[in-house]
Amino acid sequence: MGNQIRYSVEPEDFYYMDVNVPCQAACPAATNIPAYIRALFEGRYDGSYSINHMANILPGVLGRVCSRPCEDKCRHGEPELGRPVNICHIKRAAADLRRKAPPPEPGPLASLGKKVAVAGAGPAGLAAAHDLCTLGVAVTLYEAFEKGGGMLRYGIPEFRLPREVLEEEIDYIAATGAILKTGVRVGIDVPIEDLLREHDAVLLAAGCYRSLRLDLPGEDLPGVYPGLEFMMQVCAGKPPSIGNRVLVVGAGFTAFDCARSALRLGAEDVTICLRRTEEDLAVTKDEAIETKTEGVKIASLMLSRKILGKERVEGVEFVRTRPGEKRGEGKREVVAIEESEFVLPADCVIVATGQRPEPIRLTVGKKGEEVLKADPDSFSSSMKGLYVAGDYLTGPSTVIQAVGMGRRAAEKIIRDLTGKPFREKTVRMEETEITDRKRAWDYVARQEMPTVQPVPERFRIPRTEVETGLSPEQAQEESKRCYLCYLHYEIDIGRCIYCRYCIDVAPRDCIKLVKEVKTNEAGAITGFTETTHWAEVNAIVIDNSRCIRCGECMRVCPVNCITVTKVELTERTAQEGKDHV
Amino acid sequence: MAKVDLTIEICGMSGDGTIAAGGILNEAMSRAGLSVLAFDSYPAEIRGFGRCVTHSRFGDQEMQALSEKTHVLISLDDKESQSRTPFLAKNAVVLFDNKPPSYVEEGTSIAAHVEPDVRLFGMPFTDLAAAASGSTRGRNLAALGGFAVIFGVPPAHFREVIAKKFKAKGEKVLDANLKSFDAGYRYASEAFKERERPVLLLPEPGKDEERILISGNEAVARAALDAGLKLYFGYPITPATPIMEYLAKALPAKGGRMVQMEDEIASIGAVLGSFFAGKRAMTATSGPGFALMTELITHGVMSETPAVIINAQRGGPATGMPSKTEQSDLQAAVFGGPGDSARIVIAPTNVRECYEFTLMSFQLAERYQTPVIVLTDFFLNNRVEKVKIVGASEAQREDWNLYPDESSRGQYERYRVTESGISPRAIPGTEGFLFDATGLEHTEKGRPDYSSEIHSKMTEKRHRKIRGALNDLPEPVEFSSGEAMDVGVIAWGSTFGSALEAVLRTQQEGMKVGALKMMSLFPYHAEAIRAFMKKCKEILIPELNYEGQLANLVGHLHGKDVVRLNRTTGMPMSPTLIYERIKTLI
Amino acid sequence: MSEEHFIVIGNGPAGHHAAVTLRLEAPGARITLISKEPHGGYRPHLLPKWISGNIKEEALYVCPVEEYKNMAIKLRSGQKVVALNPGQKELVLDHKEVLRFSGLIISVGGTPRIPEPLLIFKDILFTLKTLEDARVWREEIPRVDSVLMMGGDLTSLAVTKALLGLGKKVYFMVNEEAFWPLRWSLSLFEEMSHRLQQKGVEVLADQRVKGITRKGDCDYEIQIGRQTVRVGMIGAFFGLTPDVRFLAASGLRLDRGILVDEYLYTGFKGVYATGDCAQIYHPALRDYWVSVGHDNAVELGRTAALNLVGNTVKAGAAGKCIFEVQGIKVNTSWWTEF
Repeated sequence: MGNQIRYSVEPEDFYYMDVNVPCQAACPAATNIPAYIRALFEGRYDGSYSINHMANILPGVLGRVCSRPCEDKCRHGEPELGRPVNICHIKRAAADLRRKAPPPEPGPLASLGKKVAVAGAGPAGLAAAHDLCTLGVAVTLYEAFEKGGGMLRYGIPEFRLPREVLEEEIDYIAATGAILKTGVRVGIDVPIEDLLREHDAVLLAAGCYRSLRLDLPGEDLPGVYPGLEFMMQVCAGKPPSIGNRVLVVGAGFTAFDCARSALRLGAEDVTICLRRTEEDLAVTKDEAIETKTEGVKIASLMLSRKILGKERVEGVEFVRTRPGEKRGEGKREVVAIEESEFVLPADCVIVATGQRPEPIRLTVGKKGEEVLKADPDSFSSSMKGLYVAGDYLTGPSTVIQAVGMGRRAAEKIIRDLTGKPFREKTVRMEETEITDRKRAWDYVARQEMPTVQPVPERFRIPRTEVETGLSPEQAQEESKRCYLCYLHYEIDIGRCIYCRYCIDVAPRDCIKLVKEVKTNEAGAITGFTETTHWAEVNAIVIDNSRCIRCGECMRVCPVNCITVTKVELTERTAQEGKDHV
Repeated sequence: MAKVDLTIEICGMSGDGTIAAGGILNEAMSRAGLSVLAFDSYPAEIRGFGRCVTHSRFGDQEMQALSEKTHVLISLDDKESQSRTPFLAKNAVVLFDNKPPSYVEEGTSIAAHVEPDVRLFGMPFTDLAAAASGSTRGRNLAALGGFAVIFGVPPAHFREVIAKKFKAKGEKVLDANLKSFDAGYRYASEAFKERERPVLLLPEPGKDEERILISGNEAVARAALDAGLKLYFGYPITPATPIMEYLAKALPAKGGRMVQMEDEIASIGAVLGSFFAGKRAMTATSGPGFALMTELITHGVMSETPAVIINAQRGGPATGMPSKTEQSDLQAAVFGGPGDSARIVIAPTNVRECYEFTLMSFQLAERYQTPVIVLTDFFLNNRVEKVKIVGASEAQREDWNLYPDESSRGQYERYRVTESGISPRAIPGTEGFLFDATGLEHTEKGRPDYSSEIHSKMTEKRHRKIRGALNDLPEPVEFSSGEAMDVGVIAWGSTFGSALEAVLRTQQEGMKVGALKMMSLFPYHAEAIRAFMKKCKEILIPELNYEGQLANLVGHLHGKDVVRLNRTTGMPMSPTLIYERIKTLI
Repeated sequence: MSEEHFIVIGNGPAGHHAAVTLRLEAPGARITLISKEPHGGYRPHLLPKWISGNIKEEALYVCPVEEYKNMAIKLRSGQKVVALNPGQKELVLDHKEVLRFSGLIISVGGTPRIPEPLLIFKDILFTLKTLEDARVWREEIPRVDSVLMMGGDLTSLAVTKALLGLGKKVYFMVNEEAFWPLRWSLSLFEEMSHRLQQKGVEVLADQRVKGITRKGDCDYEIQIGRQTVRVGMIGAFFGLTPDVRFLAASGLRLDRGILVDEYLYTGFKGVYATGDCAQIYHPALRDYWVSVGHDNAVELGRTAALNLVGNTVKAGAAGKCIFEVQGIKVNTSWWTEF
């Protein structure tokens, strides 16, 4: 065969990847999504899992709880093409169906002779620790709680993320050589200055564990719980008493987890109260539907003003709101409606409106604390050798963002410690065969995640995982839906005879009669000037941003002038200079 | 009252497979037991780029004419189909592609051009064909799949027809086409499950009485073959070319030949030559070609040589409108050419008669030793009907030449004046029966002679001979109660079907109206026609020509002026037009 | 001919009257009325009467289809809007045709709501909103003797009346959410139960559906709280949820329906929403509400049209029939029908 393989680090090729493999571009960890979907299609569950693992060290976890920024950008979800591929659940299927791998060899690469301390064994810290270990650094991972996992263990309930899945993936990371010290609070039990002395670098990935308050009268009444603390108590197995009527104020994952957990603790009347509408939720649509299916009510357009009660909370006073103008690309303003006060009774109120990082004391005994500020691109703080990553750096984000940040922080640390980059991103290009995907697969319906039914079954044993996982058949069916956007179809204009058979069979406006090709500064193609006047046509061009990789053009071309190249955004060890192989 | 009377149009752009789909639809519905009358229209230019429309009328009874209202429109190209929406009946069904490759501006989709009572059924034909077969070419068949679901036609009929049609093109093509049809069927079964659908009462599946779908052209060609034709001489001209093409393929197997001549003059010359030598031959042409033949046709009249000429009329004059229908060659057929040259002209009114009259024309030509012109028209030549063709009987194939008696050996007079006017004809080369034949006026022996006596005698003889053909020619047929009528409609050619439908409608409404079908244009049965006219207060003659050529021919038989209804639109005459006109005369 | 092109989405009572009003107010404008159902406008509130056989099908239709042509209103029936860009003033139909407008009234109404916990049963539940739904009821009812009505919205009362008229045994399960936008209260529930029981309906106390088992053709066993009920047919009447999912990407302010001010204005120039899909803040209720009932829909349709052409008429004028809930007057024209 001998297909030629090229690697490129040119800006126009990175631009191409951004536009043409939108799922990978949207993933904060830049997971090679088409590749792992293809691997699963071929039945290579282990391979699929490994491909994920290269970018994201917690595939089993993320396959359950990821916020799926990739699916929002999936090309199959474009308006006329149907619904996005169920990428997250395919990832989970690979994790569920693979053979359990033997534990890895500790620190496979030769030791670099460097030591790094990581504070926080959450997703960011774990990702950084894993990468540092595999690159030959001696890592000590400090964790304030009893066990590792951070939010994954203490913020997300078991019915969304079974602990066995989490533990298996944490154990794998520990097996790469990171020394895990639990029950140690950095900055309190161990001063940061000590760590800085004993290690070549210190990475703070302590997450956000301070709940934000609403600062309302009555917020300190018994029966009012901050969302995060409520979840932590539930996850630790020591839930507080909540009574029957629960109001949850908040619109994020924590609020929804609190509401669903409240049902499992026996509350019969649970309502999530939103300032805006269901259109503005931070959770996925599937999550919202599942929550409502379980019996949680969602009330919208109401702003809490007062928490009422004497010995204990008895209710909440709200005012109605109106959605105002949008703030740039962000959410709409919330405008209270005059004279619209009303009261909802409650036995328990959970305030889940966000978190912020716990400030870390820099010197023992020093008066005043400050939250460390750091540069989000270099992860460096004002103190030499002290780095920050994850929610602790950015404020509350998502698990996958934390994982991505952890890895990038590790790379930055290595670069600073050794003076050289270790890994670099590159675009790998390989000539390949035409897709074997059939056009009929584009019409396969999205395979939905099966859940435990009927709903009361879920509450019998409250820890029961609600989503039961795609079966091998469902996963395979779903994997067929991926267009495999990493294939690049190109017409060789030197050989094209302008017969336009390709345009006749094109499923949409993906092949164009082009007068001019527009490029940006880097030289990447950004658009086309099309024409209907034959005399002005300079080329027939496949617009890869519209192409759904069906392969029909290639099948019908009488002069075989269409080539297919597999283009993947991947990593390799950093190359000397800027040449490509 | 007909239980089923469904008109379906498929409209597309050339390249969409519109005509092919129409053909498959006709065959499939025919297999389902329905009668068929179908007529396609497509661009005139060779390899033309333009609109194609198939128009098929299906029913449980025989149909006489095309209907003016369409009950089902299958749109393969919305832009072209917009021209067909004014003809949609109330609550018509429109089947269209609801997933074009890109977004379209308001007004581009057919959905923008239909009345609210029209029932729209959208299906993604292109996508379905692509998904099923990998190519979009089968989208016309995916559409037929949808049609089958909507009207409850068993898909097996379609599949059988598709299999038959594409078998010759190979496994791969056949498979792709069947898959496209199936994909359309499956999609529609699911998508239209909940929708209210029209009810189509298909006849009980029974043994079909050996009727086949056949066009007028094909009927003519088959009749000629069944008459024992061995030689065809012709020149291609729309709409007669398919006759030539059919015979080109079929004659060699029967030991015959089709010869393409350099022009129509040579063609008729060869036909006359062949018949002169005792062998049946035929040519088919249209108006412009027929005009070229006229001198030699009169030669046939003068030399009393048989010939069979099919004149498939089209829009004239001159090159006119090659792919449009008209009935404006009557005068040319009956009178065209120099001198008093009476010949036989017969005009079929439907596809079955195309067969019968062509078959008959060889015998008539032989017996009456004259050119026989079979006058068809574009509509008749190209339309498809479901008819029973059982082939020619012995009697129908019989040689009707009158050969000379042994007693005239050595004293044979080719043009002897007889009571019937028919002079026994020797085939050249028959020993003892030498004769002259010429286009000059001649004596009984055949020698050229210009005397006033001879010319008067011979002219009279020839005309008497032709008049005698009335015995063998089909008499006009009356469609009435037999009683006195307010209006009598006389029509010929394909217009008769429209006239009959109009007349039947008026009869159902209680009006005193009748129709007379004229098939023998020359000689015509004056007595019968006059008798019919006497029973009618008004006579209405609808025809597709400007002045009223039949009215000019036989109108004088009526006591007063006949009412003319003339149209030169290039389209078949609408029954409603005739119906409305009849009503004004009552 | 004016350059104005007004589009009305939805040919229910609100949409129909909006279109008619637009024609009266703007004689020169081009008006397109888009309806996803394949027939002319009809009166959905009369469907229960048709189900019971009290009226003929012809009486359902607002006007013959030719009327639209007479009024120069282009009725696009059987065609659905799938996307809207109010800023660009264009919308897209499901067969990918793009229509541009200068003014738009959205009156798409709602579809029967099935609460999430009952969604797994949706294939066996019967709802009533469209003419097609009513046809299905007419076919099914003769096959059963008893019906369980779940929910308790205003349509359910009219259907119950129809069923009683046809001699069927009716069970009724009231669900407090079915009353939205009205707020449920014990007194409301008690009054409703009382009235129903007077007519011979068996009202179930509980509202928690534990399970539904199909025992056979037209034979279901439902467990509600501690009770078990056996019936031939189950109807779901949990109110209507505005049919606005297709607007998710449009930029319009959406909650359950389209949020509009008291002039039915969406905030986008030239774009109004009216009828059952419009959600308006009601100061007396201190809550958002959506209109209920035929007469209100007609009124709102007219109001939206008037405002689109430049008037300033407030929505929610007092309806003919007033209903009192917790001392608050609420407009509805259906309640007293029962």
